[in-house]
This record gives sequence, C-alpha cells and structure tokens, in this order.
Amino acid sequence: MSYGSSGSAAPAEEKRHHAPLSGKDTDFYYNGLEDGQLLIQKCDACGTLRNPPSPGCGACSSMDWSPHALTGTGTIYSYTVHYHPPLPGFASPHPIAVAEFEGVRVVGAMDGTEPAAMAIGKPVTIEFTRRGEAAGFRFKLA
Amino acid sequence: MANFSKKAAIAGYGATEFSKNSGRSELKLATEAALAACADAGINPSEVDGISTYTMDNNNEQEVARAIGSKELKFFGQTSGGGGGACAPLMQAAMAVATGVAETVLCYRAMNERSEYRFGQPIQAQMPTSDNLIFAYHGFQGLMTAAALLAVSMRRYMHESGATQDDFCNYAMVARKHAARNPNAFFYGKPITREEYHASRMIADPFHLLDCCQESDGACAVIVTTAERARDLRQPAVLINAAAQGSPWGTMGLGAYYKQDIVPRDECAAAARQLWATSGLSPKDMQMAIIYDHFGPTVLPGLEAYGFCEYGEAKDFIKDGNIEVGGTLPVNTNGGQLGEAYIHGMNGVCEAVRQIRGTAINQVADVENVLVTAGSGVPTSAVVLSRDV
Ligand SMILES: [Zn+2]
Repeated sequence: MSYGSSGSAAPAEEKRHHAPLSGKDTDFYYNGLEDGQLLIQKCDACGTLRNPPSPGCGACSSMDWSPHALTGTGTIYSYTVHYHPPLPGFASPHPIAVAEFEGVRVVGAMDGTEPAAMAIGKPVTIEFTRRGEAAGFRFKLA
Repeated sequence: MANFSKKAAIAGYGATEFSKNSGRSELKLATEAALAACADAGINPSEVDGISTYTMDNNNEQEVARAIGSKELKFFGQTSGGGGGACAPLMQAAMAVATGVAETVLCYRAMNERSEYRFGQPIQAQMPTSDNLIFAYHGFQGLMTAAALLAVSMRRYMHESGATQDDFCNYAMVARKHAARNPNAFFYGKPITREEYHASRMIADPFHLLDCCQESDGACAVIVTTAERARDLRQPAVLINAAAQGSPWGTMGLGAYYKQDIVPRDECAAAARQLWATSGLSPKDMQMAIIYDHFGPTVLPGLEAYGFCEYGEAKDFIKDGNIEVGGTLPVNTNGGQLGEAYIHGMNGVCEAVRQIRGTAINQVADVENVLVTAGSGVPTSAVVLSRDV
C-alpha cells in the first residue's frame, strides 16, 4: 500500500492518535504507536529509509512511500540527560537517546534508565508504553 | 561568485542596556536601538528605506519604521533560523544596497526574553507548521529545550573529539573573564572559577548552568549603507567583506540528528566555505572572532568549522590561551553571550564594529578583519567585517 499523495495514491491516513501536535505528514507515526509499532518511511521508488516524517525522499525526490516498522536492537548514537527546567509529562533527570536502527536515527525517551548508565554505543530495544492519553515508546538498554 | 564584497558598510550601531527586566516593550527597545544606530551613523531616521531582521523577533518591520519615522520602506523582511540568522540580515542588507534596491538598511534584534518569556523553557507548539511538527516529534520524547536539543549534539562531539567537561569550562572562564572587564556586560566584575563552573547545576548533560547563555532583555541595531556613502558619514566605515548563509541537506531548526554529522558544525563549515571563497581571505587573516555561544561548548566545533583549528583540536587551542585578549585569536571579547548578554548574536556584531573602529573595552591591537558567526546547530549565517583601508 502506498501512503504517498502523488498520482492516484491513497489519501492521507485518518488520525487515530492523541499526540499533542501532529499533521497529515506525521499522523502515520503516532497511529503506528497506537498499534504498537515504531514506524519510519521507506521510499517506494529507491528504497531509502527516512526519519523523521517527510513528504518527499531526500535521495530521489519521490513522494511515494510505505511505512516501515523498526524492530530488534538499535545502538545509542548520542544522548542527553535533561535536568532543568521541569518537563511536562516526564520526571527529571530524564535521559533521551538518538539510536540507530538499520542505519536510520530515531529519538527515544529512556525514562527508567539510570542517567549514569547512558553511553554512546550501547544497544537498546524498543518498549511501548502510554504517555498520558497517547501511545508512546521508550528505549531500554538491551 | 557573490559580487557585493566591500560594496556595503556598517555606518552606525546602537544598543540599549542589557538586563533581566527592561521595564519597557520590545518595540520600544527596538526603536531606541534603531535611533541610537542612526544617530551614531549621523543619518536622519526618515532616510531608512530598508529593514532586515531575523525570525523570532516580535517587532514587525512596519511598526519599527512607523516608530522611527522612516518615510518609505522599499525592502523589508526577516531571514530564518532564529539566532542562526543573526548575520544573515547583514547579507540581505549588503545585497540590497549593492544592487540599489535600498540605500539605508536598518538591522535589529530586540527582545524581552527574560522578563516576558523564557527561551530556556520547554517548547510546546500549537500550530502544525513544518518546524513545529519537528519540535513536537522530539518533544514527545521529552526532548523539549534548546539546551537539551543541542546537548545531544555536543555529547556526540565529546565522543568524537575527546573534549571533556573541563575543556568546556575553559571557554566559560574566558567568556566570563572578558565580561568581567566590560561595564556593559551583565556579568561585569564577575569572573568565575573552575570550582564554580563544576559546582553549577546540570541543565542538560553535558551543559552546566555556566555553559548556557543568559536570558536577556535588550536590543541592538546597525545601519548598513553603501561603502561610498558610509565614507562620508561620521564614523569610520566597517565594510561587509563577505557574508553567507549555511544550510546543508538535513539542517533543522534544532534537533538535526538525521544527517551524517550531528555535531553543530557542518552548517558552519558550509557558510565558511562561501566566506573564504568570496572574500579571498582565510582564517589566519582574522585578528579576532565572534563565535556564537548560545551554549559555550559549541564554540569548540565553531572554531573548527570556520577553519581556526582542525577537527578535535579546539580544546587545546582554547586551553593554550589563544582565544583570550592577548592571544593569537581573541574570541568574544565582549564576554560573549555567556557573559555580556544574549541578544541573539546582534551584540556580537556590535562588538565587531567597536573592535574595527578601535573603541572596544577589551580592544585587540590593529584589527583589520573580524569573523562574526551566528547560531550553530540550526540554519546559520556568518559575516566577515573589515576595516576600510
Ligand atoms: Zn527515494
């Protein structure tokens, strides 16, 4: 199934999520979380994976794409631990990682992981959770 | 090849005081700084026929023009990038006066970003604009402040370069040392020790409080006109030798983790390539530099991206004293945005003007060329300002 909007492709997906802010290009991502999937995009024309959501492929400019679910183990490419000011919806200190899956980078909360355990190069897995009304996920050290 | 080199000049600059509570509107601050810049240049404000500022300024060009009495604007706009746009209005102004679209262009930044709103607060956007959807994508994971968004990039820089927290401290100490001697700096008379740096609370790992720029109220403005006309005005002309914007593929307004290099430097390196090519100058022709310090640690990749050091060598360059007044490349002689104030880069432009005129507090000897850079880790801009010789 194509999610693109060029030609006769299917129209944008219905919004089925409760993320605080989303649009027609990003609804699939938050809908995926509702379904227990961490989705990125795969270009139908050249196969390039991309994230975060964009209507076009930066490699070939095609607007035809399909969702691609990330699974298994990723690797922490970088991270921070947020301390101040207080965050809505998260306790501080709050670790956050940029992890690589299949060569694509994804940002994920790592609440529940000790700040001192955060390090570049460590393997992580995906765990789905709720963030208030919305479906979300976190990374956990593998 | 850009053909506006040395065709335009900064003829005057103006600034308000820098504080944590200005007690007046942002528009009034903009008006005060604009009028001060006109007076410094020796032009009548009615002559302003162009305005170029950059996004995140809340003062509409027409309202500023109405307040200062500009007769008619022929050229006006805001370049994008927030603090990354700090030098881009000089590029726009130089192109406008070089082509004759306008003759007298006002550039400004005015904000009460301490007393009326806080740049350091979590970003919670409402409208689904393309920028806001990216902020929301990161914010959904609790990555919501400018500090945390850049901290991710600087953690990677530490991993690649071997730079340590102590190396970041070295920059913070220099900025505060310069500010301590600058009566216009918020931290005038307040240098910091290594112990105070390490004891300051963590904001977003690896940024301590003393790595973060201030949140400030204040305004700065400059007047750009043709080099010929500037030579007839009351101040020595400060030539716009080269100006450039930098935005390689994958650049974002914070959080650009999806391109090959996530360190805040490849947008700077892109601007640098254009600057050095169009000016015919090189880093060694600069007697000093203003390197954007929204967060002090980003000065390290900044120095590297603009070619003052090889990648990974800025930590030693700073440790060896090069960036202090009296060193080989004094940096942020006003105290930077850690020490003087955070006027989104425009106070750095004003410091460069003073240094070229020879009127700075921490004056560097015989300044001919100054590199001024804008925010990194976002779409950026930079300018080389030169003495009229
Ligand atoms: Zn493609």
